Amino acid sequence: MNWLPLLLSGLAVGSIYALIGLSLVIINKATHVVNFAQGEIGMFGTFIALSVLSATGLPVFVVLVLSFPIGFLIGALLEIVFIKPVASGPPLNVLIVTLGLFFMFNSLAGIIWGFDPYRFPALFPTAPIAVGGAAVSPTSLGIIVITLLVMAALYVFFEHTRYGTAMRAASMNPFAARLMGIRVGVVATVSWGLAAGLSVMSGILIAPLTFVDQQMMLAIILKGFAGAILGGFASLPGAAIGCLLLGVMEAFVGAYVDNTIKDSFAFVLIIVVLMVRPQGLFTKALKRKV
Amino acid sequence: MRTIACLAAGGVAIALPFFVGPYGHYLLCMAVIYAMVALSLGLLLGVAGQISIGHAGFWAIGAYTSAILVTKVGVPFILTLLVSGLFAGVAGLLVALPALRVQGHYLAIATLGFSLVIVHVLYEWDGLTGGRQGMFVPRPSIFGYELMSDFSAYFLLLAILAVTLLLVVNLRRSLGGLSLNAMRLSDIAAQVCGVNRATTTMFVFALSAAITGVSGAFYGAVLGQLSTDSFTLVVSLGFLTMVIVGGLHSVVGALLGGLFLAYSPEFLRAFEEWQMFIYGALLVGFMHLLPDGLASLPRRALRLVRRRDA
Repeated sequence: MNWLPLLLSGLAVGSIYALIGLSLVIINKATHVVNFAQGEIGMFGTFIALSVLSATGLPVFVVLVLSFPIGFLIGALLEIVFIKPVASGPPLNVLIVTLGLFFMFNSLAGIIWGFDPYRFPALFPTAPIAVGGAAVSPTSLGIIVITLLVMAALYVFFEHTRYGTAMRAASMNPFAARLMGIRVGVVATVSWGLAAGLSVMSGILIAPLTFVDQQMMLAIILKGFAGAILGGFASLPGAAIGCLLLGVMEAFVGAYVDNTIKDSFAFVLIIVVLMVRPQGLFTKALKRKV
Repeated sequence: MRTIACLAAGGVAIALPFFVGPYGHYLLCMAVIYAMVALSLGLLLGVAGQISIGHAGFWAIGAYTSAILVTKVGVPFILTLLVSGLFAGVAGLLVALPALRVQGHYLAIATLGFSLVIVHVLYEWDGLTGGRQGMFVPRPSIFGYELMSDFSAYFLLLAILAVTLLLVVNLRRSLGGLSLNAMRLSDIAAQVCGVNRATTTMFVFALSAAITGVSGAFYGAVLGQLSTDSFTLVVSLGFLTMVIVGGLHSVVGALLGGLFLAYSPEFLRAFEEWQMFIYGALLVGFMHLLPDGLASLPRRALRLVRRRDA
């Protein structure tokens, strides 16, 4: 019975990727660009959360809940200050701005908080619990449950609320959406906020397992890309499932094949998926109108 | 007028090393090495409209290919330049393979993933590359003469840069360059006019990677040692910064970019911690205020003056 813990830890890591992957897809739908600074925003938010934690002594779970509005503010501000002025130009310019933001956040975190890793207090009990004869880490279970809750909330928001529907409309056809009275510019700001909130949450979820330092999200954002591409960059559920799948595959490759290729696995996967099935596993090929 | 400007620039480039010391020679060499990378990236970004955040990977392939061939096989340095370019070019082709199927900025992610894999492989393969410790690289040589000083290496570099410049300038004017330009402006319109999107994208990736590979070979030889630390994501992003600061759409911009990347650490030494932040801020700032880089300044100034006259 040693596959169950492996599956669960894979799903837990996949959940972290999924939160980042989802935020990438949300921004891509709104701004039609891949936001390379996404992981660094998450890292920066995690540092802020850690500072809040040590300054106020609030319970960790309160900070986890607070992390979403903190992230939302950061993301929305970034969109208004840095992205909106160049958004009408070629998409390449926006992409380069996100790369610049990546640089700025990455080094700013080092300048403010130093380059040494910090320990983040555990969110869940660390003693393994026995499930069906196998030892399972409560941390993995907790991460999976929280991620599933977030995904359910996102689903309800996008499918069953007025504003979520407006956001989908703005992504499908900005022009028509504007004619219907949707403020497309505000939708972009909200998308950035939503995505940044998710990224900060993923940073806080992973922080107790790794450490908090300025490089913590570098590998994770790449895995988020890989997972989202695997599942289909054009769809939220597809991207989420792709990320979960990637986490599980990594866990099994690491355990049964070789642990050193675990990290390179995702990158090779990106290139293979782009070559063989660029629209991802779970979405139909997007047809562009001329 | 154009010829005179070119000749003058060449003259300055040749005369410059006579006025600076050994460290100045080293910086000039680096500027030329970076300028070659900037030319190749400018081709990709400015002409073809494709972004790469993994050029450090091609640079690494060039550097290690040349170093290993010189030290382990005994191939003359000049020949290894060709092999380095070839290997890096083939790698570029591999990375661009997804171009057959995908559009847009997915390729950027592929380049990023590729460069990380390359560095990972070089790091683990310590029998060949020295892994963590890195390896020593002999000085560049030509026809059996070792160019012991950076002063003499600079002139060899200048010659190679001139060849690269000629190649890039002519490509920009040729049918290939024009079709790349058309692709950047509208890939649908270009394809309607008979441009094959996949092959042109793969071609420009391969060429860009090959030029970067040759530059990498020089980098190792001028520095005298190699380690995987020289080929991180930060280096790739530094390359991007120099191209944006210099200017995407012209050869002059690429040369300015090379000078920028070689000399900026000198000026920024006092704010060492802030260096990356400043690079990032430059990327953002230039995109907002001067998207065509420093090379577009004269034209902008001219336009401003004319407007005032009118």
